Amino acid sequence: MSDEIKDLTNIDRLIHEPSRLAIVAVLSACESADFTFLLNSTGLSKGNLSAHLTKLEEGGYITITKSFKGRYPNTSCSLTKEGLRAFESYRKQYLAFAKHMQK
Amino acid sequence: MTTNTQIDQLIQKTRRYEFADGLRDVQFALLIGLSSVGAWLALQPFWMTIIMKASIKYGRWAAVLGMAPIVVTILVVWGMLGVMKIIRQRWLWRESGTVKPSRWVVPRGVNLISTVIFLVAIGAAAGMWLLGWVQDTFILKMIWVATGWSFGYTLAAVGMQIGLTRYLYVGLAGGLLSIIALLLPLDFGQTALLIGAIWFCILLSSGLVTLFTLISEKKEEQNE
Repeated sequence: MSDEIKDLTNIDRLIHEPSRLAIVAVLSACESADFTFLLNSTGLSKGNLSAHLTKLEEGGYITITKSFKGRYPNTSCSLTKEGLRAFESYRKQYLAFAKHMQK
Repeated sequence: MTTNTQIDQLIQKTRRYEFADGLRDVQFALLIGLSSVGAWLALQPFWMTIIMKASIKYGRWAAVLGMAPIVVTILVVWGMLGVMKIIRQRWLWRESGTVKPSRWVVPRGVNLISTVIFLVAIGAAAGMWLLGWVQDTFILKMIWVATGWSFGYTLAAVGMQIGLTRYLYVGLAGGLLSIIALLLPLDFGQTALLIGAIWFCILLSSGLVTLFTLISEKKEEQNE
């Protein structure tokens, strides 16, 4: 078994799920984003997004801050250092595997 | 499976969001325009006379007047941040959501090349002066022109990276137009003013055209 395939068996399953990968990708490109932006960017339903955010928060990959903007509640999410490291490592693994498959 | 290309597009779209409405262009225009006026003013004899007279009359308080261009620039740019926040929260970003951009939008590589462009331009001007091809004022003028080139490159490179072609054209136009300052018989202060005016006009036009296009698109969406 090649190293790339071995690496793939150790892939981070929390990030590997497409919806969560999209959320983490968006958050990796900014300091924080609110629930509405994530909803529009990922195309997920409110319930789905909420569930994925909870899983990512439980995994220590994101932090969720709830506040009020005027009279309206606002949920803001940001990637933790651990989350960023995990995302970068996942992308490296993914690219290595994609390269291996093209050979 | 979410492909690598889709992920790249998501990252690019998120980075672009902060600059997509043109408000940042307006803020940059104000910052550069006011800074160049400040630099020009600081070198003008009439301004120095005003400061001198003020220092005789009011003593140390004259320093406040001397700092006025810097204070005004900071207040206007800071005020613009507040205006941007209100416009985005109440209108532009109300339905699409809010993003706080990363602190370091410009990648290190771009910053490095931009610094190299600046230093090479200054070095070339100094070399030409040593060879006797140009007068010493040319080096001083080159400081502003090189700043214009450096900024133009940064904008174009960031534009390419985040997929905002507007910045590529703005960067190229500003960088090319900055050359005019080298061809005209201007002093150090006047060159600062001209470079500032060039960038102010380009960035303000770019920002306002983008902003009004976005507003009209939003109105059309609401009417549908």
